[in-house]
Amino acid sequence: MNRLTRVIEALLQWSAGLLPADRRVWVQALWAEADEVPPGWRRLAWLVGGVRLTAREATLPRRFGYPLAFTAAAAVVAWSAWSGPAGDSAIAINRLDVITIAVILAGLPWAIRRARGPVAGGRLARLVRTGGYVAMLALVLAKAAVERVADAPPNNLDGSARAWEGEVVFLAVMVGYAVVILAFTAQRSPAAPVTVAIGTATGAVVGVLAYALGPLGFPLRFTGPWSAGFYDAAIAVGVLLALCAPVAAGWAATRRADRSVPTGSRFWPGAMAGSCTGAAAALVVAVLSTATIALLPYSSGLEHWAAGHIGQWAPVASYGKSVYGYGQAPRHGYVAGNSAFAAGYLIVLLLGPLLGCAFGAWAGRAAGNPGPRLPRRPGDGPPLPGPVPTPETGSSPASRS
Amino acid sequence: MGNRSGFSAQTLAVLAELCATPSQWRHGYGVARDTGLKSGTLYPVLIRLADRGLVDACWEDEQPAGRPRRHLYRLTPEGLAAARAALAQAPSTSRAGARVVGGRRVVPRIAP
Repeated sequence: MNRLTRVIEALLQWSAGLLPADRRVWVQALWAEADEVPPGWRRLAWLVGGVRLTAREATLPRRFGYPLAFTAAAAVVAWSAWSGPAGDSAIAINRLDVITIAVILAGLPWAIRRARGPVAGGRLARLVRTGGYVAMLALVLAKAAVERVADAPPNNLDGSARAWEGEVVFLAVMVGYAVVILAFTAQRSPAAPVTVAIGTATGAVVGVLAYALGPLGFPLRFTGPWSAGFYDAAIAVGVLLALCAPVAAGWAATRRADRSVPTGSRFWPGAMAGSCTGAAAALVVAVLSTATIALLPYSSGLEHWAAGHIGQWAPVASYGKSVYGYGQAPRHGYVAGNSAFAAGYLIVLLLGPLLGCAFGAWAGRAAGNPGPRLPRRPGDGPPLPGPVPTPETGSSPASRS
Repeated sequence: MGNRSGFSAQTLAVLAELCATPSQWRHGYGVARDTGLKSGTLYPVLIRLADRGLVDACWEDEQPAGRPRRHLYRLTPEGLAAARAALAQAPSTSRAGARVVGGRRVVPRIAP
């Protein structure tokens, strides 16, 4: 305990040096009080609070944490995507992918900042923005892993020109997603925080459910009558839920905002929530399913399970020839077929937000009668509670003082 | 945990504590002990209050034996007025907010 306390003391003294002089005095004050605190856990907690204070006052997470984390994640993705022979078109595509995505994700925040302002206050915006970035990098990583095996010679028989066309579309979709994520989490967001929260949370749940029902991107085959019947029923319920989710999100978002939104514009919060639902669901299911497909050549258990559940898709998925991945043993043909299904997620990524927007807008228009008009909060959020706006940072008490 | 006064529950707890003995200089650990706030919460609150001119801060004049000099705090006249207004405006909020302050109940005491 004493050793740990001394370590934290040293850390506190060192970290105080990161602060400007007018803030450093507060850390010195806290440190000077530490002798008054009873030794043991209470003194340790007091000193840990000082370290938290320095991190907060130095705005370390914002100034250094996020850029460092992004750089590290992008480096890992680049390292993974870079491996392979230079002449292979699949590897060349992977390299273009990772470079372009890294530039997009690093550069777009600057552009969006000029148009929509910096990231909104509170944890929600940072959570959504960070989650979106993680999902996009994970998708590039998984896609590169799939293509490294499935599109490697001699399987890329369609010719590289078609693959490059698809790549341009994929990168355009990724730019669209990055713009939406950054704009919706900016200070001058077109959607209120509650709308983003409802839409994103609903979409994430739908994405996980869709993945659970078809982890390889298509319906599974079960041989037993009970299991097959149960699975068919689950698929029917899943499809129904997927269709209802943007409607429910749009309805909920509009009901939260309806008193502040003009009657003719009530579709807007619903459309925004539905877009968030569709985009989040598409991104989640694309990442999880593509990652599962990417694992197939490396996990014999997963490969065996997939072979037993591909069913009627086997003729489509298996071309009856081996797939030679880079540095890998020959793989069964369905890996190549699955890469086609992985490409199918591009369609899901394109259509998800558009369908969600349409369904959510319809739900927004249908969502009840508006109440009396009250002053409007920025975005499409609920009305202000009174004449004095209350800051809703939701994070630090000090920032509300 | 915002309220009509614009202060958080934790800030109200600090204001109430300093308001109880407005002429006395208080030190950080004493305020933390009496409000139940952790150091990582208390000091940001004090910093913001000082930035807004509601709290005066200074070091002890004399070097005491056996311990470092303390940093001391008390409300400025503006701070006292703001604290009284905030606590009078939202007494129930401050009491409700006190339940989340370090798990201890903090009842604001307002000096006359």
